[in-house]
Amino acid sequence: MRDAVHAEWTKLRTVPSTGWILLAVVALTVGASATASAIVKCPATCGADTTKLSLTGIMLGQGAVAALAVVVVTAEYGSGMIRVSLAAIPRRSVLVAAKAAVVTAAVLAAGTISVLGSVVTGRLLLPGNGFNTANGFTALSVLHGPTLRAAAGSVLYLALIGLFTLGVSMALRDSGLTTAVVVCVLYVIPLITNVMLSSVWQHRLDRWTPVNAGLAIQATRNIAKLPIGPWPGLGVLGLWAAAALAVGWVVLRLRDA
Amino acid sequence: MTTTATSYRSTRPAGHDGFGQVLWAEWTKLRTVRGWVLTIFLAAALTAAVPIFLASTARSNDAVTCAHGVCEAEGQTIAVGPASTAVVDNFYFAHQSLATDGSITARVSGLHGTGRLAIQSGFPRPPSTMPWAKAGLIIKASTRSGAAYMAVMLTGGHGVRMQYDFTHDVAGTSAGSAQWLRLTRTGDKVAAYESANGRQWIAIGTAALPGLTGTAQAGLFVASPTFQAAIGSGDSSIGIGTHATASFEHIALAGARPGGQWTGTQVGTPNASVDIKIAVNGHQARKLQVSQAGSVQVAAGTVTVGGSGDIAPFEPIVDPLHVTFFGTLFGLIALITLGALFVTAEYRRGLIRTTVTASPRRGRILLAKSIVIGVVAFVAGLVGGGIALPIASHKLYVNGWRPPVWPEVTLTSGIGLRVVLGTAAIAAAATVLGLAAGALFRRGTGAILATTGVVIVPLILALVLPLTLATWLLRLFPAAAFSLQAGVPRYAQTSTVCAPYHSCFPLSPWHGFAVLCAWAAVALVVAIYALRRRDV
Repeated sequence: MRDAVHAEWTKLRTVPSTGWILLAVVALTVGASATASAIVKCPATCGADTTKLSLTGIMLGQGAVAALAVVVVTAEYGSGMIRVSLAAIPRRSVLVAAKAAVVTAAVLAAGTISVLGSVVTGRLLLPGNGFNTANGFTALSVLHGPTLRAAAGSVLYLALIGLFTLGVSMALRDSGLTTAVVVCVLYVIPLITNVMLSSVWQHRLDRWTPVNAGLAIQATRNIAKLPIGPWPGLGVLGLWAAAALAVGWVVLRLRDA
Repeated sequence: MTTTATSYRSTRPAGHDGFGQVLWAEWTKLRTVRGWVLTIFLAAALTAAVPIFLASTARSNDAVTCAHGVCEAEGQTIAVGPASTAVVDNFYFAHQSLATDGSITARVSGLHGTGRLAIQSGFPRPPSTMPWAKAGLIIKASTRSGAAYMAVMLTGGHGVRMQYDFTHDVAGTSAGSAQWLRLTRTGDKVAAYESANGRQWIAIGTAALPGLTGTAQAGLFVASPTFQAAIGSGDSSIGIGTHATASFEHIALAGARPGGQWTGTQVGTPNASVDIKIAVNGHQARKLQVSQAGSVQVAAGTVTVGGSGDIAPFEPIVDPLHVTFFGTLFGLIALITLGALFVTAEYRRGLIRTTVTASPRRGRILLAKSIVIGVVAFVAGLVGGGIALPIASHKLYVNGWRPPVWPEVTLTSGIGLRVVLGTAAIAAAATVLGLAAGALFRRGTGAILATTGVVIVPLILALVLPLTLATWLLRLFPAAAFSLQAGVPRYAQTSTVCAPYHSCFPLSPWHGFAVLCAWAAVALVVAIYALRRRDV
């Protein structure tokens, strides 16, 4: 297992695109979060959940995380490298675990920087926009319990999105097909859920789709009113990731590479 | 000993690399890959199925409520206009009876907003005079809210206007300088005039009003619409009732009963209730409303009228058909993917080298690919949208999204045709954008993410970002094209808040589509340049 992880790590770090994609994770997340923090004003929107607001960029950063996971798997199928990998590590489960480990490690590292950067920009920008003690807000701090849960949870969220995409990539193998499916899951389903005119279906999708349920981890206000609680929501995403990885592993076992 | 070998020469005539051949080659490539053909059918099926699902689940909970003869939709008092559509028709009317032939003339001045409001700092404030505050002359079939009318007026910020039967709005010729107004009625025809001095009159227009029969009411009116402003991303908004007054002098009424008196009537119910909360889609819009009664005062030849409300078409905040057609995004992503793979697959398999050998003029290759994939995507979108529209529209009707507030959309109505053709046009242009991105990136993942990043992500961001930023996103990015799928008509002469959250886009449908086309065209030109410059 150690050798397998070492091999995967070597593959990951020696491809130039990895560095660019991880840079994109940080840049997109912090950039979009900072924009959101910079333009929201109190008292016009004093009801805003400042923690969630300062983590808005996760919605963009997750796209880059997904790109990393797609590339890690489908590039091997595209170039035929997968046959070398499987010759070196014949046990499919070890290969899946090794890939999952290195992707998770890379995403956790980039995710932590992104989330800390987002919270810090929120802490710097939000008080100037009226989210200050005069209006009953305290400056954001990761030492504050719910904010810590939201911040740490957002890092885990990114890691789970990476694992989910990894599983889908292994099941589908083709980069185009995988990207299309992942874009639908990451972006189109949340968009449709947000605008659709059926509160029943909105509630269902908010509880059971990966992004909507997973992002419940960012909420720090009105938690009782959420369709799904923060940790159960992240748990739903965890189940999706586990299911995707299981399917990917089964496909890898059953099909020729 | 040597033998002379004659090299083999095919007896078939030499092939050409004309554009027709390139086009044919690309079409052959597309139709012979089974997965791609499946993708095309899948895209058409998704384009049809998801909107139908969204329409069948779209519940219109208490969208229109009526009590004591007054109907409200989304917190606004509405009436039914001459075209059987919902209208806002609330204003203060100083009137006298007018026979079938007659005219009314007056000099209008001093239109200004009145009343002070205590609004918490940080909230949007109404301007001192609303741009669509109106003061002028009106001939109306009766004082019933929603009755046919013709009016000529001064406005707070849009000069002299002639408006009739709610949806029609014609600008005057000399914005601002004219103060004299006149309406002349001949049967059901009414002509509007303006003048700067009361001597030289300029005709603004004439219209025949089918609902204007027999004795009508003619007179002076003032209205000042509810100030609406979005808060945050537009998922909530405030509405503040406003009030305006204006003075009328040199009033001349021909065709009225001799010795008639000005009667003041409140038409409709402006600012029906105070602090209405409406829940649309789980999001609340707050309406702070300040009621101020309308008034008419006559003193020494001058009549001063004060009023609140508006005479305009009613624009519903929620556009259920547009929301429904967001469901076409799944099919769109399938097509964008196909567009990107149509190029990137050639790089992955090395086929691109054969392609450029067969047709060395590389610009033609991408053009041919664009035409093939564009036409295929257009047809897929047309079939999917054409199936979705009548079924989705029927399901919306059954679910309570129906006239007078929401138009009944059919394939042959203007809106229905635009939505279906628009769905097809968006599919074609976005797929060509995906193809160009594929040629630039040469990697499927990057191309698909980049294309969806500019076509779909701005749409998502526009729903959560504050309104000013959201509207700019929808002006600059290809997502502007989704205004082609709007299902309710929008009018310039209304004061309804226009928030992307409620499917109101800053650009008109075809302007929005032009933004997408511009992106696709620029990307294609850059891709052709890159293909010519790079080795394959």
